Amino acid sequence: MTQPIIALENLTKTFRVALKPEGRSLPWARTWKTVTAVDAISLAIGRGEVVGYLGPNGAGKSTTIKMMTGILTPTAGTLRVAGRVPWRERRQHVAGIGVVFGQRNTLWWDLPVQESLDLLRHVYRVPPARFAENLTRFRALLDLDEFRFKPARDLSLGQLMRANLAAALMHDPGLLFLDEPTIGLDVVAKDRIRAFIREINRERGVTVLLTTHDLSDIEQLCERVIVIDHGRTRYDGALSELVERYGGDRALQVDFADDYAEVAVEGATLESREGRRAVFRFGRGVTAAALIGRLSERYTLADLTVREPDIEDTLRRMY
Amino acid sequence: MNAYLALARASLARQFRYRGANLAGLITNFFFGVIRVSVMVALYNANPAAAPAGYDLAKAVTYLACAQAIIGWVALWGWWDLVRALKGGEVVADLQRPIDFFGLWAAQDFGRAIAQLFLRAIPIMLAFALVYPLVGPADIGQLLIFILSFALAWFLSFTWRFLFSILGFWVTDGTGFARLAIFSATFFTGFLMPLSLFPDALAGVLRWLPFAGMVATPLDVFSNALRGPEALVAVAVQAFWALALYALAQATFTAGVRRLTTQGG
Amino acid sequence: MIFIRLASATLRAQARYRASLLVDALSALAGNGLEFVALALTFDRFGSLAGWSMGQVAFLWGLTEIAFGSMDMLFGGFDPAVFGQHIRRGTLDMYLLRPVNLIAQIFASDIMLRRLGRIAQGALVFAYANHVLALAWTPAKLLYLPVVLVSAVLFYGALFIAGATASFWTVQGLEVVNVFTYGGTALNSYPLPIFDRWLRRFFTFVIPTAVVVYYPALYFFDLPDPLGLPGWVSFLAPAVGLGALGMSLLVFKWGLRHYTSTGA
Ligand SMILES: Nc1ncnc2c1ncn2[C@@H]1O[C@H](COP(=O)(O)OP(=O)(O)OP(=O)(O)O)[C@@H](O)[C@H]1O
Ligand SMILES: [Mg+2]
Repeated sequence: MTQPIIALENLTKTFRVALKPEGRSLPWARTWKTVTAVDAISLAIGRGEVVGYLGPNGAGKSTTIKMMTGILTPTAGTLRVAGRVPWRERRQHVAGIGVVFGQRNTLWWDLPVQESLDLLRHVYRVPPARFAENLTRFRALLDLDEFRFKPARDLSLGQLMRANLAAALMHDPGLLFLDEPTIGLDVVAKDRIRAFIREINRERGVTVLLTTHDLSDIEQLCERVIVIDHGRTRYDGALSELVERYGGDRALQVDFADDYAEVAVEGATLESREGRRAVFRFGRGVTAAALIGRLSERYTLADLTVREPDIEDTLRRMY
Repeated sequence: MNAYLALARASLARQFRYRGANLAGLITNFFFGVIRVSVMVALYNANPAAAPAGYDLAKAVTYLACAQAIIGWVALWGWWDLVRALKGGEVVADLQRPIDFFGLWAAQDFGRAIAQLFLRAIPIMLAFALVYPLVGPADIGQLLIFILSFALAWFLSFTWRFLFSILGFWVTDGTGFARLAIFSATFFTGFLMPLSLFPDALAGVLRWLPFAGMVATPLDVFSNALRGPEALVAVAVQAFWALALYALAQATFTAGVRRLTTQGG
Repeated sequence: MIFIRLASATLRAQARYRASLLVDALSALAGNGLEFVALALTFDRFGSLAGWSMGQVAFLWGLTEIAFGSMDMLFGGFDPAVFGQHIRRGTLDMYLLRPVNLIAQIFASDIMLRRLGRIAQGALVFAYANHVLALAWTPAKLLYLPVVLVSAVLFYGALFIAGATASFWTVQGLEVVNVFTYGGTALNSYPLPIFDRWLRRFFTFVIPTAVVVYYPALYFFDLPDPLGLPGWVSFLAPAVGLGALGMSLLVFKWGLRHYTSTGA
């Protein structure tokens, strides 16, 4: 990896939260506790990567993104994005990034989308020619024409997210932060947004950091994933390796040709049995071929399937 | 009857949970009261002889202190619950309950008012009593008339709030009209200044309108400005308007529901 | 300039709700206007307030209302109630993500045209005061009047910004802030000597709202201060207005460090 565009070192954020909600207790009668949302996370992301940032609810994903985008000040640790300390040089920093929070809106609520985009052109000082180019491109990729002249408050959630994606990229940011951009969207809308992200990354080399609870987003977009839990890094590496390392056992499903009283094979454990069908689990130490060999020596087999654990299983085991 | 009681109790309990907001509101109400009482004291000091016969400074100060105390009880300012429920469409659920809609909201508001009596009205009166000489109902009879008048003030205020809130059946955002209704009515309720200090002709007219019954009448009874038969007449006026506004509210509500069901939300 | 573009976007958005804008402005005009009428009717019976005539009180009232109404319109984004909502809903995040000065964005985010109702009310009362008072306007006084008005706007604005800053920490405390903002203003509408000593001192030396309205008014009326402060206090208004605004902005920037966004 050459010079990373995002570099975190022991980044930490703690919140002080009241044990009783505010308003129900008087100021002097309140008790507090400290919540560590992000707990000494270190990572580096290179230019042009598309990285999936995963973790269960409350893991600290959004908090990390808020620090990387300059909204929150870290409690401890260092953070550099494109060579800058986001919260210290907020304005220069945000001029070079694009951000979309799912189910939130950055457009002017009562103004037509097109007017919002025009305003953003001035906010980010985008040269008019470049703005026109981007607009044409995004109109095609995100089908903006369907709702471009409607005020944001009249858009469906899917339309609103498309409009927000366009808004986040009008100023050609080198970095795109997406916090659950597909939340609440239907399959078609999700596909369109994924295709757009892929396109933007390929065509412009935009670095993308994406959080999501929809694993198809990850499968279709990311080669690299970072998994965190309770504010700590659990995994950082290739998506394929994640399954291999944490995926646990594979499963072999066997349909026997006869009714056997008992079925067993060394190297695998019987997980379930139903009529003539049985499912065995086996670890990385044995190969499927060896198991099948042993089984067919003893029994007559009708059919076989080998199942690899998927990301969902893997994550379920990790969380 | 039990359902209404349960609603009132739940709404009362809810008020008691927001301690911080209640304390803050109390401080604010008290502070504004101090400003208004200061003005009153200065007016009386300038020309004590100009006050109406029998209406001395203590009565006027008591009136203003009570006006601050009654804010939470009648909730004429800043009550948006029903306006919001109509705007947000939650009333549809209420309409499906096997319970009178007016009664449902009245029960909840009564619970709120009772809570405010203990959280705001009484503490504010105590605070004022510490700082200024106040007067109270002269005898048991006066006290009983006051309690009746005080209760009617709540009912009148609720019916009035109910009325302008359900205009939301006809307009998409009732907030603006509600605000207009509130701001214009404040003057007529006698909240701003004791009615007894207004020019006699004006005060005479205001006492016959429904608004005086929401604030001025119980305050004048409490401070003994209205006594005996005068007080009873004032309470009778309150009772008359209570019935009239109630009938109007029910009729308006029926028309509103008809509109909702024939035209859709 | 980007500020003007953002502000005009806010105004364009408001223009979409013309009817409710009008109703709101009217209710403010009626509500605040009737409050003055109630005072005037009662005043009429007694004839004076701490030696001040109705016209003089109307002068204070009008000046205060114009200043507070204008402030409320221009500093609407900092209205503690409005700003508290931004914080609770996390909309402040959105402003932080734009490469524009945050304070400029908050100013541009809420310019409340409906406050024109209150300003109009103040202007009417002020006009009435000038009508009955027949003040001896000298060029110096005429020049100082707009200075006082602007100073009062800045000073009240500083109170709003300070209140907004409090919402970085507390929600429930916000109503207490009203004591200083709305309460301090209400106090400005009456001659200072009618208040108890602790109130006078507090609003002269701690939160000096008296210095931006009452003391300048003494100069316009050529009155000495019955409380004994020297004449030059009447000319402190601009310094106090600017100073308070500067201080409140510093405090706001410091408070922003404590912004924790929302959990969602
Ligand atoms: N502003 C805040 N004040 C107090 N606590 C907060 C705040 N923001 C986040 N937290 C807490 O920090 C922890 C991490 O929250 P965060 O929003 O970063 O999680 P997340 O990984 O984005 O979760 P999700 O998948 O649900 O979006 C949680 O325990 C949350 O309650
Ligand atoms: Mg999150």
